[in-house]
Amino acid sequence: MILEARDVTKFYGGFRALAGVSLSVKDGEFVSIIGPNGAGKSTLINVLTGALRPSAGTVRFKERDIGGIGPAALARLGMARSFQLVQIFPDLTVLETLQAAVVSRLGRGTRLFASLAGDREVQAGALEVAELFGLADKRHAPARQLPQGDKKLLDVASAFALRPEIILLDEPTSGVSTADKTAIMEILVAASKRVGLRAIIQVEHDMDIVFGYSDRIIALHQGKVLADATPAAIEADQRVVDMVVGRRRAPHPDPLPRGERAG
Amino acid sequence: MRQSGSATRGVVLAAVLLSIALLPLLAPTYYVLLMLPFMALAVVLLGVNLLFGYTGLVSFGHALFIGVGAYAGAFLTVHTTVRSLEVMLLAAAALGAAVAALVGALCVRYVKIYFGMLTLAFGMVFYTFLLKFYRLTGGDEGMRVLRPSLLGQSLDAMPKTDYLAGPYYYYSLAVLVIAAFVMWRVVRSPFGLCLRTIRDNPAKAESLGVSVTRYRWYAFVISGVFGAVGGALLGPPTGNVDPTLAYWTSSGNLVFMVLLGGFANFFGPVLGAFVFIFLQDRVMSTFPYWRLVFGAILAFIVIFAPAGLMGLLSRRRPAEVFRA
Amino acid sequence: MTEHLVNVVMSGVFHAAILFLVAAGLQVVFGVQKIFNLACGSFYALGAYTGVSAVGWYASTGGPPGLFLLPLALGGLLVGIVGLPVERGLLRFVYDRDETFQLLMTFALVLMMEDLIRMTWGTAPRSTAGYYLTYGQARLLGAAVPVYNLVVIAASLIIAAGLGWLLTRTAFGRIMRATADNREMAEALGVDMRRVYAKVFTLGTALGTLGGALVIPATAAMSEMGIELIVEAFAVVVIGGLGSMRGAVVGALVVGVLRSVAISVYPELEMLLIYLIVIAVLIFRPRGLFGAAAV
Repeated sequence: MILEARDVTKFYGGFRALAGVSLSVKDGEFVSIIGPNGAGKSTLINVLTGALRPSAGTVRFKERDIGGIGPAALARLGMARSFQLVQIFPDLTVLETLQAAVVSRLGRGTRLFASLAGDREVQAGALEVAELFGLADKRHAPARQLPQGDKKLLDVASAFALRPEIILLDEPTSGVSTADKTAIMEILVAASKRVGLRAIIQVEHDMDIVFGYSDRIIALHQGKVLADATPAAIEADQRVVDMVVGRRRAPHPDPLPRGERAG
Repeated sequence: MRQSGSATRGVVLAAVLLSIALLPLLAPTYYVLLMLPFMALAVVLLGVNLLFGYTGLVSFGHALFIGVGAYAGAFLTVHTTVRSLEVMLLAAAALGAAVAALVGALCVRYVKIYFGMLTLAFGMVFYTFLLKFYRLTGGDEGMRVLRPSLLGQSLDAMPKTDYLAGPYYYYSLAVLVIAAFVMWRVVRSPFGLCLRTIRDNPAKAESLGVSVTRYRWYAFVISGVFGAVGGALLGPPTGNVDPTLAYWTSSGNLVFMVLLGGFANFFGPVLGAFVFIFLQDRVMSTFPYWRLVFGAILAFIVIFAPAGLMGLLSRRRPAEVFRA
Repeated sequence: MTEHLVNVVMSGVFHAAILFLVAAGLQVVFGVQKIFNLACGSFYALGAYTGVSAVGWYASTGGPPGLFLLPLALGGLLVGIVGLPVERGLLRFVYDRDETFQLLMTFALVLMMEDLIRMTWGTAPRSTAGYYLTYGQARLLGAAVPVYNLVVIAASLIIAAGLGWLLTRTAFGRIMRATADNREMAEALGVDMRRVYAKVFTLGTALGTLGGALVIPATAAMSEMGIELIVEAFAVVVIGGLGSMRGAVVGALVVGVLRSVAISVYPELEMLLIYLIVIAVLIFRPRGLFGAAAV
């Protein structure tokens, strides 16, 4: 068990965003969290990534209670995240962004007098991630000048550059054209193998992506876990289908016979 | 491309340094003496820009450190037997670091306008202390600064102008060069990169493992040291330090100088200090209302040239000016 | 003993009344335009010098001394109109910029106004010699308090009430509050920001200049008064809470009275005590007494 949430509840004043959410993620899993807007997905991500302290319940990462320890400490422990609204460093180049992540990974942030340009490990590490994500030819471009899809990629790439053990992706393909979505996911899967990622959690709305890549799907509704099962089981779960899943366009590569589909 | 860029820069830098070194032999004493406050302020501004240009924090109370350094130096010469400028500078640095550590610990948790207000408040606290506790500080008349000895040599016998335009000039230049070198290493280090991530996007920086508050604090302490060292250099030429060194408008002028020279460039602040000092001198000699002129210049820069003189000279956007 | 206390408190309340006017000007501008106007002290100084000139002119006409308050107040109020060209000609260019640049623009204003005032009135202090006690003194618990002080305090209270009425009962006040809360929404609902900003800034300026004019009989107009006052006004809005009118009232009272008490007890303390309180407020309750929750 790498990441475990037990009975997590979160109140914003009088509003209950999460109610007794429990979930766990094991080695090698790709878990997707789905749910309509307002279901509490963002809150859940923020609690899981230590940005918010739960009102009740615990979150354990590698057996450690990480309630509200903050994103920086969590990153050092081995958890990284990307953001729903793409977050980049506008005035830093692609390479510098990745260098920053590698510097952090290697714990060299407090080196005041060492030369960054001369640090071969940092340079090589950053270049490697750039190549993994297909950003190498743009590595000297300031991040603000990148097209939206590349910015998204950079956001995720910099999280990967931390070589985390687990990564949380908040809508990694949102705002990206359909053609690019699969490309991004393929890059992600390939990269995760290269950096030795142990598990991936994503929040996603695109059901093709969700069903195409997940080992397990957790459906959230009004702050509660509605269902937590394999894609096949989720697809068959009428409650989830009614509330969360819409009409799907492409057939799922699953040999089970299609019965009646809810519209 | 980059190689030739940095080569040109190296040549320009060497030429500038050479000119500054030769100035006492070529220019009228008046201008040579004007270089002294410029060099002292340049050291201060290197620190201010570490906060402003590289970390994204605008302090409206940095004159606090000038005051700390200046009075530390004065205190040593007047109330102790210490006359060595080396000791004065070291004491200023240590005191600057201590004050910055304390003040910074309180201020760096806040950003933007609240950071500006807190630093302004601390600056004014120190100013009031300097002004009101006259038994200790000399009140509004300030404190005298006796002529420091340089590298162990007491040069009291020299005529004042010869001392200032000679040994003291080159000593100040050496301090500036060393300070600039140190700051250059700092901003090109992994630490410098982390500061820039904090400037650009603190939330993202945090998610990459950078403890934003702690790094801001480091930057604040370093800038406090530079501020105090520069402040210590300001005292000897006039032979006197007074509370106005720490007034909030002095802090405002520091920010003005950084903006004038260009905050997105390493040498911008130094250029800003130079232009400010010399322009102020020129304007004051013909037209007593230099503040009007400077206010208009500041307004102009804010509206039309926010990247300052270096931005105009390089005709590149601030982001690119940072590169190479 | 009581006499002394009354004097200290009343002088503090008088100072608070003036501070409130300047702080209220700061608050409306910050609340609606989100700009911290460092030049509010400069407008205060402008009002002071204008007031002196107005009274000086009035004196030369030989009018009854009792009416000197009219040219004083009118002069102070009317010169506030400079807020309009300042806003239209300078400030509006930085509305879309980072707060830092907005702050620096107001600093540029401070510099320019300092010299403009010097150019117009010179560097020697100016006063309205002798008019202070025109209305005599009142006896309050054994202490002699200038009636002028009481007049100003009353005027300030009336203006505070007037501002309150403006904000809560008029259409413009509603627009001001809506813009302060959510500018984009207000704009989407058809509010013309240019005109709102121009009016609000002019109002803020006029409050400052009026405050400067009204303080004049009690002190002299001096060239440093602007940059000195800004730190007090700043303390008022921090303690009271940025953007809050109630905060301006309470903050002004706290700063005015505390300063008066501090001076009478231990003169070295004076502003030191105020700054320490400001620092404490910024650390423990950054939004001040009545400010908005988000810092």
